[in-house]
Amino acid sequence: MNAIEADAVVTRIGGRTLHDGVSFSVPRGKIVALIGASGSGKSVLLREMIGLLRPAEGTIRILGTDVWHTPEEELNALRRRFGMMFQDGALFSSLTVAQNVATPLVEQGLVPTHLLEPLVQLRMAFAGLPREAAARMPSELSGGMRKRAAVARALALEPELLFLDEPTSGLDPVTARGFDKRVRFLSDELGLTVFLVTHDLDTLLGIVDRAIVLAGGKIVAQGSVDEVMRIDDPWLRAYFDGHGT
Amino acid sequence: MLLTVTQEEGGASLALSGEWTLARIREVDAALGAARLPRAPVTLDGERLQTLDTSGALALLLRLGAAGASVGRTVNLKPGHSKIIETVRAQATPPAPVPRPWGVVANIGYAAVAFGRLVYAHLGFVGSTAASLAELAVRPRRMRWKEFLAQLQHVCIDAIPVVALVTALIGMVLAYLFGLQAEKYGASIFVVDAVAIGSAREIAPLLVAVIVAGRSGAAFTAQLGSMRLTEEIDALQTLGLSPMQVLVVPRVLALAASLPLLVFVGDIAAMVGAMAASGPLLGIVPAVFIERVHSTLALRHVVIGLAKGAVFGAAIAVIGCRAGMTVARDARSIGIATTSTVVRCIVAVIVLDACFAVWLQLIGR
Repeated sequence: MNAIEADAVVTRIGGRTLHDGVSFSVPRGKIVALIGASGSGKSVLLREMIGLLRPAEGTIRILGTDVWHTPEEELNALRRRFGMMFQDGALFSSLTVAQNVATPLVEQGLVPTHLLEPLVQLRMAFAGLPREAAARMPSELSGGMRKRAAVARALALEPELLFLDEPTSGLDPVTARGFDKRVRFLSDELGLTVFLVTHDLDTLLGIVDRAIVLAGGKIVAQGSVDEVMRIDDPWLRAYFDGHGT
Repeated sequence: MLLTVTQEEGGASLALSGEWTLARIREVDAALGAARLPRAPVTLDGERLQTLDTSGALALLLRLGAAGASVGRTVNLKPGHSKIIETVRAQATPPAPVPRPWGVVANIGYAAVAFGRLVYAHLGFVGSTAASLAELAVRPRRMRWKEFLAQLQHVCIDAIPVVALVTALIGMVLAYLFGLQAEKYGASIFVVDAVAIGSAREIAPLLVAVIVAGRSGAAFTAQLGSMRLTEEIDALQTLGLSPMQVLVVPRVLALAASLPLLVFVGDIAAMVGAMAASGPLLGIVPAVFIERVHSTLALRHVVIGLAKGAVFGAAIAVIGCRAGMTVARDARSIGIATTSTVVRCIVAVIVLDACFAVWLQLIGR
């Protein structure tokens, strides 16, 4: 079964058609990247997938549930089965990193108190955060640490699927590759399906199993990175040529 | 039944079954807590284990660790499950040592130092505002008229309706209050003295300052605070512009200029309110009221009120700007800074007013 299936999604924003029948699928346990030019509506598509923005037409199934034709209660149950990392972390600015990671666990009320701290520590370790970061406030963190803290929070409820919006944007190449390795680790060791929106060619060539290319409101290609690289599309050629290959 | 423990030679065998997941973590932990775990390596039997996630694995490893046991051997454990146990064991860190809390004396010391630094920084800000004003006096062309006029519009013109309404109502209330007492002594006409002098010297400046602290002081903090969050203040500095000259000085001047004007509006409105109330209540017709104001309200009372207004205005602007420039970079702190601006401004205005009262008494005014 696929983790994500989008079928003929149409998005209109302000009278303009942003997506004109977008269909794609994401197999379980893989790292899949959505690429496309700026303004092609990648982030909008992501917001439609996680239930923040309703598409005009079409269906999106996440982990077998139709996101936009399901009662709110089931949608909330579904939301607990995936994690989302927003571009700049979207950490709660009045809480420490540890409290941010603990928030979903505390709100669910599932965890006995003495297990809370070890669980938070484990999530932070999975995201590659040092233990000293636990007591810091989000405003005291670097961009890379903020993203890691956001991943730790997204992992809190043992999701099966992880969404990442521009995971390496604004990071230096060394930090970015470290982040990539973490994502690969999460997918390999915990069996997570990872869906990420990115511009970063190094991420694409380094850790991604499959790529989906969005251009002109359509999916112009989807498949393994090698397959996508061979497709003859003006934007794709410019994108890969820019890398100097 | 999530867990069955079978004691055996040199340890025990733990047969896990069912769902060892975050959703059932309470039951898992309770089962582990109730089980008699040996202080020796145990054998894990995963034959009937359906699902295991990192939370379940962590609960298992923590309880085993606390009992002095460890995972020695595994039988029938699915590769996926043993991988999760391995990953969690590799990533889980021993609990952090809890830092020793500070003693009372240390806390008092830290608080005192922090307070000292705060006062020092506030004085520094007042000083650099004064320096910027002095610089402006030497080089008047640096004045930012556009910003000044925009602020003037916002803090003065837009505030006139609320100031007039509030002071008129208070003027009415005062006339009513004094009238009830003065009438007993047949001294109704002194109500005019009390309202005219009282509102010109004290009531109008204080009321206007409190209204402006809530309106403009808070607005300054919010404006400058969000500019700091979006790094606009840093950008100004990088462009070689002084945030003091561009942002603080026009606001301080605008408020120092506006407050006397608003106090004047307040004076008039309070007297109009009192006049409206004393006609029907005390039988003082407007002509008599105005005549009495003429003979009793010396100009110096009005001037003192207006001068106080200018000082209050400058104080409110400095406090509001200072709080805005020092917000921390998170969403909550703007709210906290805005609230504390209003409180600090009102306290500062009342302290300054008390100082004025003592000083004016000393110089015999």
